[in-house]
Amino acid sequence: PVSSRQAFPLPSLPRKQPTVLVVCGPAQNGAIGLVCARHLRIFDYEPTIFYPKRSPDPLYRDFTTQCEKMDIPFLSYLPTEVQLINDAYNAVVDAVLGAEAEAGEGREPCAAILATLKLLRIPIVSLDVPSGWDAEAGGSGGISPDVLVSLAAPKECARRFLGRQHFVAGRFLPYDVQKKFELNPPEYPGTECVVAL
Amino acid sequence: QEEAQAIDQELFTEYKFSVDQLMELAGLSCATAIAKAYPPGSFTTSRPTVLVVCGPGNNGGDGLVCARHLKMFGYEPTVYYPKRPSKPLFEGLTTQCQKMDIPFLPEFPAEAALIDELYGLVVDAIFGFSFTGAVREPFGSILSTLERITVPIASIDIPSGWDVEKGKADGLQPDMLISLTAPKKAAMHFAGRYHFLGGRFVPPALQKKYALNLPPYPETDCVLQLS
Repeated sequence: PVSSRQAFPLPSLPRKQPTVLVVCGPAQNGAIGLVCARHLRIFDYEPTIFYPKRSPDPLYRDFTTQCEKMDIPFLSYLPTEVQLINDAYNAVVDAVLGAEAEAGEGREPCAAILATLKLLRIPIVSLDVPSGWDAEAGGSGGISPDVLVSLAAPKECARRFLGRQHFVAGRFLPYDVQKKFELNPPEYPGTECVVAL
Repeated sequence: QEEAQAIDQELFTEYKFSVDQLMELAGLSCATAIAKAYPPGSFTTSRPTVLVVCGPGNNGGDGLVCARHLKMFGYEPTVYYPKRPSKPLFEGLTTQCQKMDIPFLPEFPAEAALIDELYGLVVDAIFGFSFTGAVREPFGSILSTLERITVPIASIDIPSGWDVEKGKADGLQPDMLISLTAPKKAAMHFAGRYHFLGGRFVPPALQKKYALNLPPYPETDCVLQLS
């Protein structure tokens, strides 16, 4: 959430209302999207969530409740008319599929969502892995996000990221984990939890 | 005190926040506020050493989270945690600190002068806003010692030992207070240099319901300096 804000500071948004659409998939990546949406609301954005396949995990159900109680609207369907999305929102947060997804992208509703996202003209912020990309090989013909927020550490596919800004949010990793996986993270400025690469 | 407890209750029962979630955000706020007021380069000790004294409840838990983030921010925290609840939340937080090589003292430094020599800052995470009644050992002696140190003290939410509403004129006099969620009545008696607000998780609807009238946080910061 902090990195989304850094990429699109409130005063710079083209629409009058700071609207953001957060598209959440069925697993952990989607749950992270829910947390992101809640913080965006605290930061005075106006997020809307599309969360078609809700996880039964109690933790993730609580994240959903927190968003609902904060008056964050949940769309009942994603318009296939791409212009409607382009007109209503300043940006879209792609929290559909993460690094763990295998066949997820082929299954509904993810496939239809990704097809719509590919056609958007407003910027996309992808969480961890651009949804639909192979976590290692990268995507050809997949979505092209404007901003990528790598969680913990950049994934292999991040090499193929061609968008405007790449952030890493991995400051919470203990040193022995960083060393064990030879992550060599960059220096985080001050007390920031994200750093632009 | 009642309002603070009512807000907490709503956050847990209506909004379904977990204690873990809010404690993590609260502890992070504390570490962030400390980093803003006492940057590592400003310490009088040769290394940016910090003593974090954790009490037996949630305030202590906030302290454990704070210690972990202080380590991430480049400080060298040491924890004193004499009374540990046997609940998974606190056991987990303790493990996280230990795995990050944050030492846990087996006993509290015997003299104020020793604390002054070894540490550049003390974090008071002993008692929070739920505190009532008499102070039980070992915390009574700990507070007496802390009242005599000269290095700054940063108190989490309420200076420990203070009455939550009326304060305590002859008690701890911290240099910094980090009020969580909203300042408590006791904060009116705070006379230190730095008063920060932390715990940026209160939904707008709750802020309105309890008329918290909090000033806006800057940008995406999780703390706000009130004084």
